[in-house]
Amino acid sequence: MPVIQASELWKQYRRPKVKAGSLKEAALAFFRGQRGSEEFWALRDVSFSVEKGEAVGLVGPNGSGKSTMLAILARVIKSTRGAINVVGRVCPLLELGTGFHPDLSGRENVFLNASLLGLGHRETAARYEDIVDFAELHEFMDAPVKTYSTGMVIRLGFAVAVHMDPDILLIDEVLGVGDEHFQHKSFGRLLDFKKAGKTLFVVSHNLDSITSICDRAIWLDRGRIVKDEDAVEVVTKYKLAVEHWERTIQEAKARNATPR
Amino acid sequence: MPYRRWSGGCRLLRAGAIIGSGGRCPPTAMTELLEVVRYREVLWNLVRRNLKVRYKNSVLGFAWSLLNPLMQIGVWYFVFEVLFGRDQPNFMAFLVTGFLPWLFFSQTVLDSTACVTQEMALVKKAYFPRTILPLSALISNFIHLCFAFIVLLGLFVIWRVDVNIYYLWLLPATVLVAVFAYGLAAMLAAWSVFYADVKFIVGNLLGLWFFLTPVLYPVDNVLRGSLKSPDNWLEIFLSENLPLLKKLFVLDPLTIGIEGYRSALLRGGEIPIVHPEYPFWLYTLGATGIALVTAVIGQIIFRRKADLFAEQG
Repeated sequence: MPVIQASELWKQYRRPKVKAGSLKEAALAFFRGQRGSEEFWALRDVSFSVEKGEAVGLVGPNGSGKSTMLAILARVIKSTRGAINVVGRVCPLLELGTGFHPDLSGRENVFLNASLLGLGHRETAARYEDIVDFAELHEFMDAPVKTYSTGMVIRLGFAVAVHMDPDILLIDEVLGVGDEHFQHKSFGRLLDFKKAGKTLFVVSHNLDSITSICDRAIWLDRGRIVKDEDAVEVVTKYKLAVEHWERTIQEAKARNATPR
Repeated sequence: MPYRRWSGGCRLLRAGAIIGSGGRCPPTAMTELLEVVRYREVLWNLVRRNLKVRYKNSVLGFAWSLLNPLMQIGVWYFVFEVLFGRDQPNFMAFLVTGFLPWLFFSQTVLDSTACVTQEMALVKKAYFPRTILPLSALISNFIHLCFAFIVLLGLFVIWRVDVNIYYLWLLPATVLVAVFAYGLAAMLAAWSVFYADVKFIVGNLLGLWFFLTPVLYPVDNVLRGSLKSPDNWLEIFLSENLPLLKKLFVLDPLTIGIEGYRSALLRGGEIPIVHPEYPFWLYTLGATGIALVTAVIGQIIFRRKADLFAEQG
């Protein structure tokens, strides 16, 4: 039985023609006849299913719908059409550390973040030492997070997420965070996850990390699935496509630059 | 393979398994309530954080939730007793008992206009039932109300107001105010995500509303038409010129809540007379109805908008 099953997912974003952040702007736009909104499909007819224990990478250029796909999996946003079923505890690692509150201490933030990921107070307390050990922030846990460096925040966020014992881990552009030592450690942790039969869903522009973690990759372009097969194959084809695309741009530039 | 649209996720949810159905479940009030219970740890964490952050960087910290109402009382003492020389027995006790439910209500409503936007980082990152956000504003302010009660009881000892069994009437009065406040809070929380103006409008409307609730004046002055002090513009305003406002005043859950507080704390449980022509239970029923309807409408509006929060800003 698949742990993730997406069938015919469509996601539409509506962007008002004039972005109204206040009533005044909304009223002005209304009277000027700038009603209605531009419609933009971030996902078009996306269907796939993921079996338990699979590691799936998502590749594609900016704006291809990768982050939208992850946000739908994390239940943060809803698809416009289509259905998605996810079985098991999902732990999203989207934009690491942003769920932290700058005025609260590292310790308080660990408990807040863990509760958001579905853990009770006692369960979190049982893992607290391991989380601190993993983040290597022992002497900073009682200091407010606003005094942390970027690297420290990211380490703490990653540490909390990997200790949540999720069934499905969603990772968005957070591979290769921190210094060499921490990168090595977090990478090893993800491989352990895979060995333990957990499901991984990875979005990254770092194609090498996709091939080294994932067995399978889905290539998205403008909201549609271009390819969905073996990771190495998809990444190779995707690289070729990107090279081709860049060459076309270069040629077009060169052509425009030539004097008439 | 046939794919059933709503069923799988919802059945698992009922079984208590942790699932993410991609938001496929129809957001009924029951599933939302179950979700809030399941994510109660988030609620407590947010409440704890609201309480801590409110007085961050202040030397006295938590003491401020006791000191704030005390200082407000000090201001009124100065204005009404020293400046105006108003001589009414237990006037300060009268003011404070009306002010506490008002403070609870107005702070909840005001906090709700920021409760989603200030947690945007969490909203965009992780799923949790969004109802937790206005609920956390309500519960944080309820805790502040409890703190303020500690001060009040201290003051009662000084003023020699006796403590008795009728204090239990505080419970239904607080519930009435809380239900009404939650309805408005949910509604305003949803709108304030899309329009920043809501916060400013609400702040000013609350300033007007304060004078339309019987915090500073006794309710019988207004509705019995007994203009003991003709210089009181508000009495005239409410009693003669605007019959509609008068009706709204009688049906305002805050009027009933504040009068309930005063009956419980100061009048030994005596039934308050809010309107001379109708029995108390009638307009209390009306006010309760208004509070409940507000809560239901507020929650419906909030749930409808909640799915769009993460896409905003």
